[in-house]
Amino acid sequence: MDLSGRFGARSGNGVPFREVTGLESLHLGGGDEFRQMVLPENGGGFTALLELPPTRAVELLHSSSSSSSQATLHSVGTLTFPSNPILMERAARFSVIATEQNPNGNISGETTTSSVPSNEHIKTEPAETETSDQAAVEKQNNRCGKRKDFDKKVNSSTKKKSKSSEENEKLPYVHVRARRGQATDSHSLAERARREKINARMKLLQELVPGCDKIQGTALVLDEIINHVQSLQRQVEMLSMRLASVNPRIDFNLDTILASENGSLMDGSFNGTTMQLAWPHQVMETEQSYHHRQLQQPPPQQWPFDGLNQPVWGREENQDHGNDHNSLMVGSASLHPNQVKMEL
Amino acid sequence: MASADKPINTDVPEKDVFTLHFLQSLSNLRRQNTFNSPEKTNDRVKKIKKAAYVSMARAAGGTNRLWSRALLRRAAKENSKVVRFPRRKKRVTCLRRRRSNRRDPVEEEEAERLRNLVPGGGGMETSKLMEETAHYIKCLSMQVKVMQCLVDGLAPK
Repeated sequence: MDLSGRFGARSGNGVPFREVTGLESLHLGGGDEFRQMVLPENGGGFTALLELPPTRAVELLHSSSSSSSQATLHSVGTLTFPSNPILMERAARFSVIATEQNPNGNISGETTTSSVPSNEHIKTEPAETETSDQAAVEKQNNRCGKRKDFDKKVNSSTKKKSKSSEENEKLPYVHVRARRGQATDSHSLAERARREKINARMKLLQELVPGCDKIQGTALVLDEIINHVQSLQRQVEMLSMRLASVNPRIDFNLDTILASENGSLMDGSFNGTTMQLAWPHQVMETEQSYHHRQLQQPPPQQWPFDGLNQPVWGREENQDHGNDHNSLMVGSASLHPNQVKMEL
Repeated sequence: MASADKPINTDVPEKDVFTLHFLQSLSNLRRQNTFNSPEKTNDRVKKIKKAAYVSMARAAGGTNRLWSRALLRRAAKENSKVVRFPRRKKRVTCLRRRRSNRRDPVEEEEAERLRNLVPGGGGMETSKLMEETAHYIKCLSMQVKVMQCLVDGLAPK
């Protein structure tokens, strides 16, 4: 038949069937619905994969040429789960697919995309895979001159991939689509998944490290990242040396302060009662001087310690009122108004 | 095979948390009698540095992050203290390295260097390593900021 002839030309080396098995090997569990769709491999394999009656498939295929590519792209989502209620429900869950859904019957031209079994998804970040897959697919499309008919359909397959990649985040296991012309054994699929994972994280690191966006190539980027980490560690060491030299002159009398704070603050949740520090601008020269955290914005009328603090904090811009530990024992509510701007 | 990739979470707490922990560790250091002796500056430096890292690890993720856990374990080993980490539902302690057929040699060399830099990187797979590195970089830069402010506040030029 005309239909099978075209499919035969396309899948010269039986790739789709291998892909089928490759996919099966990837499904570790709960893939019953997939097996239903994948297993019946009788006769004209692709339509059987779809579980569509062959006549309907032919009719749909021939109508593909008339339909716009846009429509095919939009109706892609419906293709994947034509007759399976479970998967239909899943597909309906995603607004992207749902809003763009043409009525179910219009599965035009997507039959060929199911040469790869229709329920393959790409695991990782949709944007990346979508663009990369589209590029790869289009490259392959351009190469095969006599397979022009399938350009549209393969494009739609990438669109389907992008949509179904959203779906992937909810599924417990990975569906990786095997690209055209690439090996489909489970090893390389997993390898590809792994590489995509690594690339995603590399992108994250690139944003973090300044000056990494411009660099092309993983090795140089990694070099830059390593340099950055090393420089940060060296900075910590340098600063700790400086702190060590400064430290003996300062007496940290933070115990009580910290005790009172810890009573009122949760670990790491500083939102409500933000502990903010103001640092003295001048070096404490005497050994007697206490370096306290300033807990209170000086509302001058409330603090009787101004006179007390004068000799100690004489050169300070912000008055330090923290000498009285009793005042620090006030409950959490009082810490809230006691916020000093942190000069960081 | 690979599990679905949830969005990578590299959130780091605010500066205040870091400051609090760091100052806590510093004040603990102060309590030690030998701390102020000017002769042993190097020791002091080392102690401060260690305190910085440990406080950073505690502030930044506690035991939720692999690198912080490794750091704390390393520090506790030096102190010969027994460190207990709360058990979570997942067995995080079994770190398998996945065998895959193709390992990019250039990338793996870099990954090896990263592993030496980031604490706890020895047992991690490359993608996990990168996630940890991102978080580590964020925390390190936060810690540097905190220390810089401290130094500026205490000894301005």
